[in-house]
Amino acid sequence: MKKLSSKISFFLFFIFFANNIFASGSEGTENLLPNPFMVLPFAILLLMIATGPLFYHHFWERNYPKIALALGSVTVIYYLIFLNDTHSLVHTLAEYISFIALLASLFVASGGILIKVDKKSTPMLNVMILLFGAVISNIIGTTGASMLLIRPYIKVNRDRIKAYHIVFFIFAVSNIGGALDPIGDPPLFLGFLRGIGFFWFFEHIFVVWVPTLLALMTIFYIIDSRNKGEEKPGVEYTGKIEFRGGKNVIFLAIILLSVFIDPGIIKWVPSLTPLPFGIREIIMLSVVYFSYKYADKKILEANEFNFEPIREVAFLFVGIFATMIPALQLIEHESKIYGHELTPGIFYWATGSLSALLDNAPTFLNFLSAALGKYGMDVDVKQQVYDFSLTYPIYVQAISIAAVFFGAMTYIGNGPNFMVKSICERAGIKMPSFFGFLIKYSIPILLPIFFIIWLLVFYGKV
Amino acid sequence: MKTLDEVLKNNLIGLHYGNRVLLPFKVDILKAVIESEIITDFSSTKKGASYCITDGFTEIYFYDYKILSEVVTEHEKIKLVIVEKGKDIFDFANHRKIALHVDDKHKLLISEINEDTLFIE
Repeated sequence: MKKLSSKISFFLFFIFFANNIFASGSEGTENLLPNPFMVLPFAILLLMIATGPLFYHHFWERNYPKIALALGSVTVIYYLIFLNDTHSLVHTLAEYISFIALLASLFVASGGILIKVDKKSTPMLNVMILLFGAVISNIIGTTGASMLLIRPYIKVNRDRIKAYHIVFFIFAVSNIGGALDPIGDPPLFLGFLRGIGFFWFFEHIFVVWVPTLLALMTIFYIIDSRNKGEEKPGVEYTGKIEFRGGKNVIFLAIILLSVFIDPGIIKWVPSLTPLPFGIREIIMLSVVYFSYKYADKKILEANEFNFEPIREVAFLFVGIFATMIPALQLIEHESKIYGHELTPGIFYWATGSLSALLDNAPTFLNFLSAALGKYGMDVDVKQQVYDFSLTYPIYVQAISIAAVFFGAMTYIGNGPNFMVKSICERAGIKMPSFFGFLIKYSIPILLPIFFIIWLLVFYGKV
Repeated sequence: MKTLDEVLKNNLIGLHYGNRVLLPFKVDILKAVIESEIITDFSSTKKGASYCITDGFTEIYFYDYKILSEVVTEHEKIKLVIVEKGKDIFDFANHRKIALHVDDKHKLLISEINEDTLFIE
């Protein structure tokens, strides 16, 4: 594997180095845009994430950390040596640490909580759980809600569980649910940090959020009603909901409060610049340590807690974050050039299709930047972002909805998607492959709904 | 030869060596979950897993792992759906779910999976 990855790295290096010399030519060092070929490591990584578990499962299981790191290193070295651009790398590293600190802390803290629902599984009960998850994802984030509810959801359905149960959970709880406030999903939080009001999202997205979830739940209800499962004779349900692991709820509260401990929000919070993390990340990573150390071991045992799902996300996303730098910079560049031609509808589809494959937070920010640029405003000026969100809400609405909703299209669209998949497989539930998820569920179910949203809300708007 | 109930009642242990697991009772295995891998095909002797029932024990080989103790961590378990040898495999009431905890010194702790643990047959 080492030999293979070093050969791949060398090959890519050769192409990029040669191409860069020719590309720079007369432009000298002024052109800091990456060579378009530098999107290749990202494309290769996405392709391997999609095909690895399907066609070379064991090779992938053993080697995905090395592959993600090797491909990420290609981009990092290219930026260091050929572009001499440390700023982009440090900025991305800071975003990655922020991302993984939030995910890891929510994952570990919720792993020490056990919810038992002793009720008979019915389509209506499932709809209620999914809607409850969608609502609380705005309070504890899509990751927190997913980690908290996926186990009780599986247990309730243990006698009739099918892959579609989990897929709809990913749709509603791990993604679409968290579109109502900045805590729900990282892109909205980035928007909040840049100047969009905290309640702006609720005011402008709720009207789309409700019918989208209702449509999803209707489809789910119809599918789930046809699944009769097996009736176990003599089984009686108490109807009780048991909750254990109260001290980890305190840790969850600490994580949520720490989200706001940012120099951009609270003036007296010290910035740790030039370090690529802040007080917030230190608090979150401390929660990882303490919530694991002081968790009830019986609950950890019952939840079969282990670090593998978050380890997988950490490794894959370190590769994704690094390799997507050129892709995002090229998108930003292009969208600024063609920004004046872009309508809310185009912003919706562009942000959405890229959020399905890229990390939705930077994608959101780049398109927000392009939308502001169209009206001569700057995404780095808080007042201008705030004014823009009030004057041209349709653009922010299109970008926000697309960034959050389209994250449900693939396993890699949002952090919790992968974690939910991993937990389900460990519970013995056969999950669809990357393409299976896309072809059997996302495209036939989500895409028509997203198309209708476009038609009703954004079509023809300028 | 012990029965599964005797093993569970007396907290008797199994053994593990590398990728080989020895259970001190005779069972047919219907499903195994190790890490995120779900195994229902036991026909191959190269990938997935295979098992063999001998006079004194049931042995399982997990071909995709070299050393089980390196992959199955503290709170993780290898989970099996089994039917004791001699019982009607077609009667779901005979399907039992057990968890194998890979302990040190080659000890394999065996427990019945309770309703707290997520494991779908």
